[in-house]
Amino acid sequence: MTVSRREFLKGSAAAIALSMVSGPAFSAPAGKDEGVDKWVKGVCRYCGTGCGVLIGVKGDKAVSIKGDPNNHNAGLLCLKGSMLIPVIYAKDRITEPMIRKGGKKSPLEKVSWDEALEFAAKPFREALATTGPNSIAYYGSGQALTEESYLANKIWKAGFKTNNVDGNPRLCMASAVAGYLTTFGKDEPMGTYNDIDAANCFFIIGSNTSEAHPVLFRRIAKRKETNPQVKVIVADPRRTNTSRIADLHISFVAGTDLALLNAMAHVIIREELDNQRFYNRYVNFVTNDGKPCTFEDYKTFLADYTPEKVQETTGVPAADIVKAAKMFAESSSTLSLWCMGINQRTRGVWANNLIHNLHLLTGQIGKPGASPLSLTGQPNACGGVRDTGSLAHLLPAGRMVANEKHRNEMEDFWGVPRGSIQPKMGFHTVALFEAMAKGDVKATFIHCTNPAHTLPNLNKLTKGLETAFVAQTECFMDAETLKYADVVFPAAFWCETEGVYGCTERRYALTEQAIKPMGNSRPAVQILMDFAQKAGVDPKLYPYKTSADIWEEWRTLSKGSQYDFWGITRARLKKESGLKWPCPNEKHPGTNLRYVKGDDPLVPADHPNPISFYGRPDGKANIFLRPYAPPFEPAEPDYPFILTTGRVIDHWHTATMTGKVPELQKAFPSAFVEINPEDAKKLGISNGDSVTLETKRDKMNFPARITDTCMAGLVFCPFFDKNLLVNRLFHDATDGASREPEYKICATKVYKQA
Amino acid sequence: MRISQKTAFIVLALIVLGGGGFFLYLDRAFPKNRCEGAHLTVPEAYADCLSCHSKVTPKAAQDWQESKHGVLLVKCVVCHGEPDGKGSIPFAVNPEPSKICAACHDPAMKVMTEKFGAPLECNSCHPRHQNSMHSGAFQSKSQSGQSSF
Repeated sequence: MTVSRREFLKGSAAAIALSMVSGPAFSAPAGKDEGVDKWVKGVCRYCGTGCGVLIGVKGDKAVSIKGDPNNHNAGLLCLKGSMLIPVIYAKDRITEPMIRKGGKKSPLEKVSWDEALEFAAKPFREALATTGPNSIAYYGSGQALTEESYLANKIWKAGFKTNNVDGNPRLCMASAVAGYLTTFGKDEPMGTYNDIDAANCFFIIGSNTSEAHPVLFRRIAKRKETNPQVKVIVADPRRTNTSRIADLHISFVAGTDLALLNAMAHVIIREELDNQRFYNRYVNFVTNDGKPCTFEDYKTFLADYTPEKVQETTGVPAADIVKAAKMFAESSSTLSLWCMGINQRTRGVWANNLIHNLHLLTGQIGKPGASPLSLTGQPNACGGVRDTGSLAHLLPAGRMVANEKHRNEMEDFWGVPRGSIQPKMGFHTVALFEAMAKGDVKATFIHCTNPAHTLPNLNKLTKGLETAFVAQTECFMDAETLKYADVVFPAAFWCETEGVYGCTERRYALTEQAIKPMGNSRPAVQILMDFAQKAGVDPKLYPYKTSADIWEEWRTLSKGSQYDFWGITRARLKKESGLKWPCPNEKHPGTNLRYVKGDDPLVPADHPNPISFYGRPDGKANIFLRPYAPPFEPAEPDYPFILTTGRVIDHWHTATMTGKVPELQKAFPSAFVEINPEDAKKLGISNGDSVTLETKRDKMNFPARITDTCMAGLVFCPFFDKNLLVNRLFHDATDGASREPEYKICATKVYKQA
Repeated sequence: MRISQKTAFIVLALIVLGGGGFFLYLDRAFPKNRCEGAHLTVPEAYADCLSCHSKVTPKAAQDWQESKHGVLLVKCVVCHGEPDGKGSIPFAVNPEPSKICAACHDPAMKVMTEKFGAPLECNSCHPRHQNSMHSGAFQSKSQSGQSSF
């Protein structure tokens, strides 16, 4: 804000005086934008909602922020987004390159860019020469710009010739990716936020939308407010603020949702609410091990999941299961929304499949308001990492490392000899940090993420950071991972550079450069290219002058693919507040209903069916017979509680950004443990008491917060607090298919600190 | 006029009891964790507005909790700033619309300005703590009727 406290007090006094003599004070005209030279369009830096913002610039400083009225958020921002500006000018911004000259225990010292780049590149060159390309790695981020992720993926997979390219989307979205891939043949949802305005039933499971995606929650609440017939089902072991708008809240024992989802399918068929015309035309039934089967097999499989039986497993009254199933199937349009409660699980892919099953069984798909829409946690996990294929098993635009045709296509496009890209997938995140600890991976480049705070089973996996050489780009001195970094590159932050973010709804939107990078920091694409050059990667692979050149190449690559966004040019991105792909030409307005003839340009106009799931060869999606499987570590007599983790509205991820905003930091200065009043009474715990959580990995003390948000038997700790790293308590077991860790469930002891 | 010892004792006892009671009342009614004290002395309580304001300004606190801003967790500090004035939003009992409301409602404010011809004080027509959700569907509370916010 540009107004000093003194000016503000003077102004307030004048306004009060004026109101006393002449009624209410008149404000400055709305939108006159007093004190701002220009407004620059961008995307919020925080969650996967991808709200459009306008950044007010005065002179060479960003001074204010407001919502972009032309983007999906219609000018609205949540409390975090509306307080983004102070983050840019935080005192502990990193503005100079730094290195540790005397090993991990020596202090970080400021050096020149040239010295830092050479210091970083040398261990990579040595590892390449001695132990080969698979002894180096890149660990990226769903917060990096699309151009950065695309470039890093290309440099590592085609330049260094290793598939050791992974990133934090493995920790949050990998199960959703594999869920869409296995059911529909291609990643990314078919729906958009427009479906919120048309849905008559919301099925929200494993998502605290109200705190994690506040602007979307407001849109859901508005839909319900203006149409009271709209029903909201919230299924969550915690009764969060999201349930304030729920017609039905289902508290199930954490980890039993697979049984719940199958029971809903059971009821839908039993009550004859299934849509036979739809699934006969658009669905294949597939057993758990991938073999074709029939609807009758599915029905037989579901016989085990009667609401009465499932009540015993889940703790949900059978009547509520029936009610939820009926609400889901009887509505004219049902929208499912889910997030980490479903994805961060050892059976996350199965859970995703089972949500898709409900939509395919009832035909609640491919029409406005009816869709399975997976919410994302980071601003560019979808567009930046999933779409560009910047994970260990992927290649750009839906291609797979394991597929020779796909590899050859990418080798030809990137101009490297056939056989350059390895056929075997690289290390997924947990395996990567294990390999670093073992010495198999000797040098890792970490970009725009804070794994020393966010990895599971931290005591074990940070050993990787202690052992391997770590080069890191980072903006803030208090990031936990900095403790382990051998080289730190100061990256330009958010609106100090230019680039594209792609959010949950397949919307690509550009953040334009509003101000100059602070101090000696540089845009990350520049850092990546300079590093690659020092490390010996052929400069022909990165002949870019600006990040717009990278976008141009990526756009060209998408042309003709099932991710076609050839029509989303840089010029259009500058003019418009985001566009949704597929968008095959410059006149195309973007696609709302993917896979639907007439809306999706990739379904031919003469296609015999109104819907084509063209990700699969026969255009049919899969209903999988996925059984219930318990979590990796359910509660047991010695560890009788389930510990879960998540977000609070005021903080985002590791709070390296929100922690810089006094209002947000003071709202939640530190982590806590939520305990149900019944459990607290039994354990003799009062509000504010120091409570010990002890798991098989570690034990930690948290202040107690007694609330019925958690059901009995469950405790919750937010993960934002670097002084209380709750991930030390979690195991690192991963989903067998997606390799996403199970952050949502582990067994713990709970007792008052002696 | 002479005052008997008994009367003097009673008067003295009344003064002591009354004075003691008064200070006891002050101690109980204005503990350090009340807002007046907390605004100045307890950093942790700066932004935990609701816990105090549900006692000292219960109407405003309840109105907020039941309003759209309450349901959507647009917390006190987003509009009012922090009492210590050190945050990014200036502390104000009546936030200035062109700076605070406009951060989210700029498009609506432009429409209103065009419609009524002059920029208006938002709060005069849209009381910010009383703009409740209309359908009644938003009244559901947690099982115990408490909220953790």
